[in-house]
Amino acid sequence: MLRVLRAFEQEGLEYVLIGAAAMGFHGLVRATEDLDIFIRATPENVERLKRAFRAAYDDDPSVDEISSADLLGDYPAVRYYPPSGDLFFDVLTRLGEVASYETVAAETKEVEGIRVRVATPSALYRLKKGTVRALDRQDAEALRRLFDLKEE
Amino acid sequence: MPVQRFRTIEEMAAAPLVVPPGEGFERFARHCARYWRIAPRVYPRGVFRFRSLAEAQAARERVTDDSVASRAVR
Repeated sequence: MLRVLRAFEQEGLEYVLIGAAAMGFHGLVRATEDLDIFIRATPENVERLKRAFRAAYDDDPSVDEISSADLLGDYPAVRYYPPSGDLFFDVLTRLGEVASYETVAAETKEVEGIRVRVATPSALYRLKKGTVRALDRQDAEALRRLFDLKEE
Repeated sequence: MPVQRFRTIEEMAAAPLVVPPGEGFERFARHCARYWRIAPRVYPRGVFRFRSLAEAQAARERVTDDSVASRAVR
């Protein structure tokens, strides 16, 4: 995970970490299989993402299948399973009309010298409370309690 | 709550644990690594695209179900 986060920083990727990894930064720990990120939806930023994945995963040729035409067009969610086989990445440019890189409030955290843009607890709460997965509702409730967030 | 009980490893993994500020990501990374060792997954390779989050979540559940099923028959 750190290798990828470092590559994101080195390539100047404009992203916000959401999901369980972001919750971890805020002190709420649960296991996950994936790293979820919103990226700024521009062709240049998608290229930064691809460079970062290639750098982190030994020039994995699968990365070439990630396209800005998809992410900026009809496919705002792209899942990448790297060759390491231990986790995968959900890359989002928008979530319906509700959320995008620009609308998710974020703060900068640091881990092992790597700066990471992480969605704030209240932004995570808003993202998670509206989804259908029981797991997300459980996360939203944990965030609400820990950060004393108002129920929405 | 000193003791929590879970019916499955998946249920256990879904229960968030509160840790001191500043330790969160390291604890998260260790927790995931432990979980992946206990309950290894078999993932496809490559890139998949989805029109919506619901579509992405459905695909993810299929992969998880297949992975859990393959573990159960071993």
